[in-house]
Amino acid sequence: MDVIDQLGSLKEGKLSRRKFTTSLMAAGIGVMTTPLATRKAGAAAADQGTFFTWGGYDIPELFAPYKEKHGELPNFAVFGGAEEALTKMLGGYVVDVSHPCNSGIPRWIASGLFQPIDTSRLSNWADVMPELYDLKGNIVDGKPYLAPFDWGQTSITYRTDMFEVEGEESWDMLWDERYKGRLGSLASGGDAWWCGAIKAGVPLTEIDTPDAFEKIAAVMRAQRPLIRLYTDDTTTLEQALASGELVAAMTWNSSAALLQADGVPVRFAKPKEGALTWVCGLMIHKDAPNLDLAYDIIDSLLSVESGKFMISDYGYGHSNIKAFDGFDDETLQGLGLSKTPADILAGGHFQIPQSQQWETKMNTLFEEIKSGF
Amino acid sequence: MSITNGPMPDDATGLRKTSRLGALLQRSEAARGFTLLSPTLFIMAVGILVPIGILVVMSFWTQVGFGFDTTATTANYQMAAERPIYGALLRRSLWMSGMATMATVILSYPMAYFVAFHVHRNKMMWIVLITLPFWTSYLLRVFAWKVVLGYHGVINSALMNLGLIEAPLEFLLYSQSAVVITLAHAWAAFAILPMYVSLEKIDKSLLEAATDLGDGPIARFLRITLPLSLPGVISASLLIFIPTTGDYITPTLLGGPDGAMIGNLIQKQFGAINNWPMGAALSIILMLSIGAIAVSFMLIANFVRKRIS
Repeated sequence: MDVIDQLGSLKEGKLSRRKFTTSLMAAGIGVMTTPLATRKAGAAAADQGTFFTWGGYDIPELFAPYKEKHGELPNFAVFGGAEEALTKMLGGYVVDVSHPCNSGIPRWIASGLFQPIDTSRLSNWADVMPELYDLKGNIVDGKPYLAPFDWGQTSITYRTDMFEVEGEESWDMLWDERYKGRLGSLASGGDAWWCGAIKAGVPLTEIDTPDAFEKIAAVMRAQRPLIRLYTDDTTTLEQALASGELVAAMTWNSSAALLQADGVPVRFAKPKEGALTWVCGLMIHKDAPNLDLAYDIIDSLLSVESGKFMISDYGYGHSNIKAFDGFDDETLQGLGLSKTPADILAGGHFQIPQSQQWETKMNTLFEEIKSGF
Repeated sequence: MSITNGPMPDDATGLRKTSRLGALLQRSEAARGFTLLSPTLFIMAVGILVPIGILVVMSFWTQVGFGFDTTATTANYQMAAERPIYGALLRRSLWMSGMATMATVILSYPMAYFVAFHVHRNKMMWIVLITLPFWTSYLLRVFAWKVVLGYHGVINSALMNLGLIEAPLEFLLYSQSAVVITLAHAWAAFAILPMYVSLEKIDKSLLEAATDLGDGPIARFLRITLPLSLPGVISASLLIFIPTTGDYITPTLLGGPDGAMIGNLIQKQFGAINNWPMGAALSIILMLSIGAIAVSFMLIANFVRKRIS
């Protein structure tokens, strides 16, 4: 079939109906098959593993080894809180790797949605600090479910030029009446409630008592009128701190590190009562459609390159001991980190895993408080 | 299976069967109507009735850890009645979306009126121009308002540059008014179009007759145009009120602690709080309240329409 010829005959009105139908069909088949052709050529992202993670971890810097091996980044799905992620997966969402934290480990394992990790398949496992995976409930029958990746603190990031610290840095800063309407907080009870416990002086081992609930709720209720914004979106908090809309907010290490890198005068407080410390890591879904890629995602995150980026750009601790080699003690101390994480973890308040009933009760109550009741 | 393996059906009976079915269809208009509707009915049943059924059943369950206790109980509804947060958030949501609906309808009516009565050429282009902002995503429009209302946003910067205020106005963002403003803008197209259609349909000779009989512009508007365009106003109001009451994106991004709506709480029940039966019960309570308000609104509007026309 000659296209020019057909166009010519069409112009002259000589194209027969049959010929016209034939060309229509050819065009139709062409259109239908085009997507198939490009799909093959582009080595579609559907062939990559899926990483279900917190916002901010969906960046190429953490996946250099993965990209080298597979030519592309994994697929990302982002959540704002680990509870939200777990409910989504309980609702049938299947991913390859997800990113819970230590306080969730027993409940995540109990959900039956995850499989133990075969550490022999991870080339970087030998360098992972044992105290980070030897967490309560993590090792079942000698196999860990969570491969630790990052650790850090929940504390206060404040504007050194706008917030006047009275005496020592402390959690009282987020309860300071002078800055009413200029304070921000993380919205997830997984952080805020625990920080409330520290402020209320409740030992974290006793957080599941009626007395503790009462004390923490009172503290959170007192704080609520002072707070301009509760959000799980750290970018929103960072922007508000950068513009001066907020003068202090509850954040993780990364917010302070990113703002300092931008030249905003902020400090990540070391509250005298102690900060909240946590370890987060990676779990493989039991029905992971790309199990090999799942191990590659984990291995890439545990690599020294990723670790250096985590420490230098985000200010988080990493689980690979070799990642710390390029940093001197002073830098690490400035970031609130150490080569022996046990010091930091023991020095702060380490979250303790709770039952699902506790989580539901706590979240229900905290939502009521945030709404003003 | 049986069709391919068994003996072929007798041609004659097959024919008779179809013709009998055909005759039945010919005779009953209702049957013909339902046949035509069947694809839609099927989608309605699968896509709406079944989920609502599940929601109703689930609202009588209780959450136990990750699973459900499926013994029927009204505990969720009792809790919704007893704890003040649920009623207060529901009232706040209805109030906020009521305000948003009123603002939208009042602001959109002149636009629809203008296009219907004062644009004579290229009407289609006007309609397209009016709906043009709505070709961008809803989320982007909400974010755009965040930029406009923000601490260093357009309004605050402008006022500060003019020297009218010293420090940025903080109530603009993260407040109920921010949510109402955004909803009123985001849903404007849904108000303009139905009101435009009902204004456009008004017979112009009625207006001429009113003028001939001595009505001034205001009396003419109140006695002819407004009553005849009420169906458009009612449908616009419902079209905005019903979806905005359950909205949760706008209050999440712009509401702040005081601007949260019931939709946010329902979303949390299915997310962080992990109490799906409670979320189901709240959804049903929300649906029933919206239904009750919509029905009474329609009754009142009909009554008013009969009185003034």
